[in-house]
Amino acid sequence: MAWTSVLFVSLAYLGALFAIAHWADRRAAAGRSVIASPTVYALSLGVYCTTWTFYGSVGRAAGLGVGFLPIYLGPTLLMLLAPLLLRKMLRIAKTQRITSIADFLASRYGRSPLLGGLVALTAVVGVTPYIALQLKAVAVSFDALTGNMGSVTGTDRLLFLDNGFLIAAIMALFAILFGTRQIDAAEHHPGMVAAVAFESLVKLVAFLAVGGFVVWGLHDGPGALFDAARARPDLHRLFAVDTAVEGGAWTTSLILAAAAVLCLPRQFQVTVIENTDERHLNRALWLFPLYLLLINLFVLPVAAAGLLRFGASLDPDLFVLALPLASGADGLALLVFLGGLSAAAGMIVVESVALSTMVCNDLVIPLLLRLRPAALERAADLSPLLLAIRRGAIAVILLLGYLYFRLAGSAYALVSIGLISFAAVAQFAPALIGGLYWTGATRRGALAGVAGGTLVWAYTLLLPSFARSGWLPVSFIEAGPWGVAALRPYALFGLEGFDPLTHALFWSALVNFGLWLGLSLFDHADAAERAQAAAFVEVFERTDAADAPTDGRGVVRVGDLSRLLARYLGPQRAARAFAGDDPDALAGPKRLRLAERLLAGAIGGASARVALASATPGGAVGTAELLRMLDETSHALAHSRALEIKTAELERATDALRAANERLTTLDRLKDEFLSTVTHELRTPLTSIRALSEILHDDPGIEEDQRRAFLAIIIAESERLTRLINEVLDMAKIEAGAMDWAIESLDPARALEQAAAATAGLFQERGVRLDSALPADLPPVRADHDRLVQVVVNLLSNAAKFTPPGGRVTLAAEPGNGAVRISVTDTGPGIAPEHHDAVFDRFRQVGDPMTDKPAGTGLGLAICKGIVEHLGGRIGVDSRPGAGACFWFTLPLLHGPSPGDLSSHR
Amino acid sequence: MTGGPAPQGHKADGREDGRDAVGRDAGPTPRRDRLIGLFLLALLLFNPPLLRLFGGDGAMFGLPPLCAHILFVWAAVIAAAALLAERRG
Repeated sequence: MAWTSVLFVSLAYLGALFAIAHWADRRAAAGRSVIASPTVYALSLGVYCTTWTFYGSVGRAAGLGVGFLPIYLGPTLLMLLAPLLLRKMLRIAKTQRITSIADFLASRYGRSPLLGGLVALTAVVGVTPYIALQLKAVAVSFDALTGNMGSVTGTDRLLFLDNGFLIAAIMALFAILFGTRQIDAAEHHPGMVAAVAFESLVKLVAFLAVGGFVVWGLHDGPGALFDAARARPDLHRLFAVDTAVEGGAWTTSLILAAAAVLCLPRQFQVTVIENTDERHLNRALWLFPLYLLLINLFVLPVAAAGLLRFGASLDPDLFVLALPLASGADGLALLVFLGGLSAAAGMIVVESVALSTMVCNDLVIPLLLRLRPAALERAADLSPLLLAIRRGAIAVILLLGYLYFRLAGSAYALVSIGLISFAAVAQFAPALIGGLYWTGATRRGALAGVAGGTLVWAYTLLLPSFARSGWLPVSFIEAGPWGVAALRPYALFGLEGFDPLTHALFWSALVNFGLWLGLSLFDHADAAERAQAAAFVEVFERTDAADAPTDGRGVVRVGDLSRLLARYLGPQRAARAFAGDDPDALAGPKRLRLAERLLAGAIGGASARVALASATPGGAVGTAELLRMLDETSHALAHSRALEIKTAELERATDALRAANERLTTLDRLKDEFLSTVTHELRTPLTSIRALSEILHDDPGIEEDQRRAFLAIIIAESERLTRLINEVLDMAKIEAGAMDWAIESLDPARALEQAAAATAGLFQERGVRLDSALPADLPPVRADHDRLVQVVVNLLSNAAKFTPPGGRVTLAAEPGNGAVRISVTDTGPGIAPEHHDAVFDRFRQVGDPMTDKPAGTGLGLAICKGIVEHLGGRIGVDSRPGAGACFWFTLPLLHGPSPGDLSSHR
Repeated sequence: MTGGPAPQGHKADGREDGRDAVGRDAGPTPRRDRLIGLFLLALLLFNPPLLRLFGGDGAMFGLPPLCAHILFVWAAVIAAAALLAERRG
């Protein structure tokens, strides 16, 4: 293909990206941002897949089989923890106005400029070669497409006019245009994110297209392709487990990738800084892994097809492009090239914007504040300077990347940089994750951990990669520096048998985590640092941090603060911040914190603190006083927060106590009512027994008929007493679970007839008709005969009592649904629906105690309920006032489900 | 021997004390816990001891067994995560 047409298409595509970014920025300015969508957010996370994925995965798969996959399984696993981990990071970043991962760590550990600088420096050193790798991939794929397959760089052209430089320049322009628009780095960059999301789509479509072409176009589906590969003994390694997991490489890459998706500056940028809504995580936590799955679906087939076709004659990294080219599918090859270009462009732009923010806020500004405070103070408006620093940083970072690419070329140091970069940024993980959950982690611990881990990383991975590239003697790896065997970088202290990455991860993690944990355990953080740690760890319990206490003291005037803000943020924002305040008034802690927060959004938390201090007119004394006030404010906030928690706890305890007390009072009242009812019921028969006995005792001449009648009443009343007492005892037994049961198979009809016969007299006496509707062939049930009779008798006598003379009561039974349903229907006054549950409560008499005379002990139905539920049935009532009542219960059939399944204890 | 229904009287409430104020804004905890459970399960399925079960020759659905296992588990994990994450409430 002619290189002019490829160049033209590339430029047109990049032009389209600029247009998309511009359009997205315009829409965001109009209040309809495209990045306020969970799907766009999830797609933008796809910036994780660089050319290292697009071209390099196939290369890795050609050597390691499925061993390339942990790089994508790690992020999948980490995203499952999003509700635990990422949500918290998002919330913190929002409340603290975080601008980058360096700023995040610095802010967590007492706003330490040193830690911020260290993280920024590590990130730049670890990631710049990674940018070089992207430039190389674009250059190589460009050459391959235009027919220079195999030549590594376009060295035949002028030094600074090769396509690597062109790409770097265009990307720098893009990053500057869409990544450094506003001075507030904590704000979003809708144009950049929209373009990245679009690029994610393009590279996915391109890879799926080439994958489908290779699998179904060049071979007859995956089965045929893998069969062909399996027939070749030299390709067996592609399918073997040992190739993938040898030396611990599998688990190591998994851990590194999970850490990288959290700590890579570009991932932190798109995941945390560019997030517009925490709820977008719900979509991203599955859509991003799905994206990773799809883009890797055809990697192994393409690798196998490439090896079948080209064998060892071609760099496997180029298979994706070479397969369609060799088959004459030029259009597809061009699409693949654009996919690779997208992968490179997205990575370069986001990474350089993220790095430039760090370089500006955590390296340059702190240095300027320390070295040239006077010069900064003279300037009225520093925002052009800040933007210039960031733009310059982007240009310098991309230039460094380009130079590295030119110098390292095909050296090992560049080829292997992907995982080496992952290992570098993984050094932030212990301090980052630990700092989210443990308030005790201190600044010194984090500094030592990150520094120690990074040094070990450099010694065990970076320097050996230089040695393998020929920039250091190879003996450095084989014999150790100065021939000291214990210091061999791939076998430190004689630790052998692991692959270099696992070896490096082990030692760096040991040093990093050990120093971080050890120093933190034996360190005492000052109040300000502790307050800041609490602000991170307890971010979800915290109320708005802006309501700091106000007091009359102050060392800075509002006018001074306003000028300081104007210097960094521009005059408009400063004027908005202190609108309506008297410039000569002293700024109390509240205004100081507001200023600090606003500054943090522009230049990072650590620099904001230093900039504030430098603004104090009173020299060293004034500065100390101002810092003390800021710290006190943090401290006071922490205190008031602690108080707030205590108050809330106290309130909750009080509420619980009040509820328990109310319940006890109710129970107590019920008990009293019950006792008075029972006493009353006991006293009536006792009184009549006693009166009649006294008459019989005092009057010996009483007539025989009279005496017999009296004795009959005494007997009847005694029986009533016995019944009452039995009932109380029954209830007590049921409550205590001490009732004796004789559960057996029985015919319900017999028990029902017996109960009807037992209450026949009562019905006759009341003038109520009792109808029975009992089918002849009722199935047997599991029940206790006596208890069943007791329940039915109780329901029938209730019905007799509440049905006016001339009414009708129906006793019915019908089988159905694994049980027999027995009902007693009356034509009495009925029960209001709100009492349907209450009638079965023990001690509970539905009825107004002031007007209605209680008609019983309040135990009858409670006993029925206890019995029925023990037998595995249910009991209830259907009724409306004025329309009679139907009390019903069920008994499980003998062959139905076991009673336990049917019972429904409320 | 009674327990009588009568048309009007006390209300039968007193069962609403079971609900206690949960700590505010701790997130939808059951969903979070289920996702963490899914994480642990995936961690197990994606790592060597179990991977070695799929090291043999032969083919599952035309794919090498190891590849088929990973793709299947991966897709299942994503589907489960999507179900958990996108469910309302």
